[in-house]
Amino acid sequence: METYFITFRSVTFAQRGERALQRQGISCYMMRTPRWMEERGCGYALSLQRGQEAVEILNREGISWRKLYWKGRDGSIQEVGL
Amino acid sequence: MIYLDNGATSFIKPPQVYRAVQRAMETCASPGRGSYGPAMTAGEVVYTCREEAGKLFHCAPEQVVMTMNGTHGLNIAIHSLFSPGDRVVISGFEHNAVTRPLYGLGARVEVAGRKLFDWEDTLKSFETALDRGVKGAVFTHVSNVFGYILPIREMAKLCRDRGIPFIIDAAQSAGMMNLDFENLGAAFIAMPGHKGLLGPQGTGLLLCKEPGRPLLRGGTGSLSMEQEMPDFLPDAQEAGTLNVPGIAGLAAGIQFVRSRGPEAIGKQEHRLLVSCAAGLKDLGMRVFAGDHQAGTLSFLSGLDCQETADILGRAGFALRAGLHCAPLAHESAGTIHTGTVRVSFGWNGNFPQTEAFLRAVSKLPPPVV
Repeated sequence: METYFITFRSVTFAQRGERALQRQGISCYMMRTPRWMEERGCGYALSLQRGQEAVEILNREGISWRKLYWKGRDGSIQEVGL
Repeated sequence: MIYLDNGATSFIKPPQVYRAVQRAMETCASPGRGSYGPAMTAGEVVYTCREEAGKLFHCAPEQVVMTMNGTHGLNIAIHSLFSPGDRVVISGFEHNAVTRPLYGLGARVEVAGRKLFDWEDTLKSFETALDRGVKGAVFTHVSNVFGYILPIREMAKLCRDRGIPFIIDAAQSAGMMNLDFENLGAAFIAMPGHKGLLGPQGTGLLLCKEPGRPLLRGGTGSLSMEQEMPDFLPDAQEAGTLNVPGIAGLAAGIQFVRSRGPEAIGKQEHRLLVSCAAGLKDLGMRVFAGDHQAGTLSFLSGLDCQETADILGRAGFALRAGLHCAPLAHESAGTIHTGTVRVSFGWNGNFPQTEAFLRAVSKLPPPVV
């Protein structure tokens, strides 16, 4: 299954994002950002399936996020440039 | 005991506040630091409080900074906006929570508006001071001593029109009056969580337009590789572990306030005040009452203010006397040498309590005219 990760600077932004996405019917799971995804240290991320759609909602609602990653079926992970 | 010291703290809380504190202590670990259940539960509690406060005060959840009391928030705000030598205008009714940080910082303070319950004097003096050139302004919404409601909407507009940043001390109004952070355009609004918002002591909120200068530095659970504090809200002002049980109680308190409506709570307190003021006047007491007054009043009997409060305290009435940490307000009202006895009503006050209070006061001698 393909999975996306959206990273955030802090838990507050991740929480705001989580609630905004859930209101739009996008289920997501909040987690600590994997260390290698965040060169500046700790943060929080949302793991979900509908990555591109989620990013559009976050942008529309003015919720600041940092990066979008995509994890393929083979387990490889890459940053998605937008 | 009949509790009439809500200006200090709302000692009696709605039952859901006590339950929320207990539940948080049993279920919450450190928020914003982990992804296991109790850490995430703690994060939920904190975010819920930000969201509730954001709805009540019209701002985004991340603009709500958790503080340990109103004074903490005012210190952050004052240190964010001002530097030593800056000219700052304040009202004549400020608490030491405003004046001491300004004094400690070495700001040049100009006091504008000393007449009690007089909006015309407050606005005219304030405008004159602004036009003399100031770095910013700090003013209270409601005097903690006299309950005087300052014309903050107009004062905010005077500042906005001149591009002058300002801070509002909402210690005596949050939870009892409507406050719209977005419309007021303040740089910061500081408030305790344990007064009109009905949370536990050790809680407070600072509404922030911008991150400001950190007052405390330390771990935030974000951008840990960097030695500078995060430059975004709320992390910029929230170093260290938050008071999660307190914040849980505060969230429950805000939910209660929202369910009743702050204006409805404030109006009920004002009705009690009007009745109390009239009764005290009938007894010959010196009463400080006027237009633009919230649910707080000061009075003087024929005895010293502390003695008055002691006698009434022994009779079962909780009141505060003295200078109420606001010598400036007493200077403005001419009561710096006597102090006053303060009656401050709360969300659960009622008329039978007020009548009982007046019966107790009737046994005291009135001041000699």
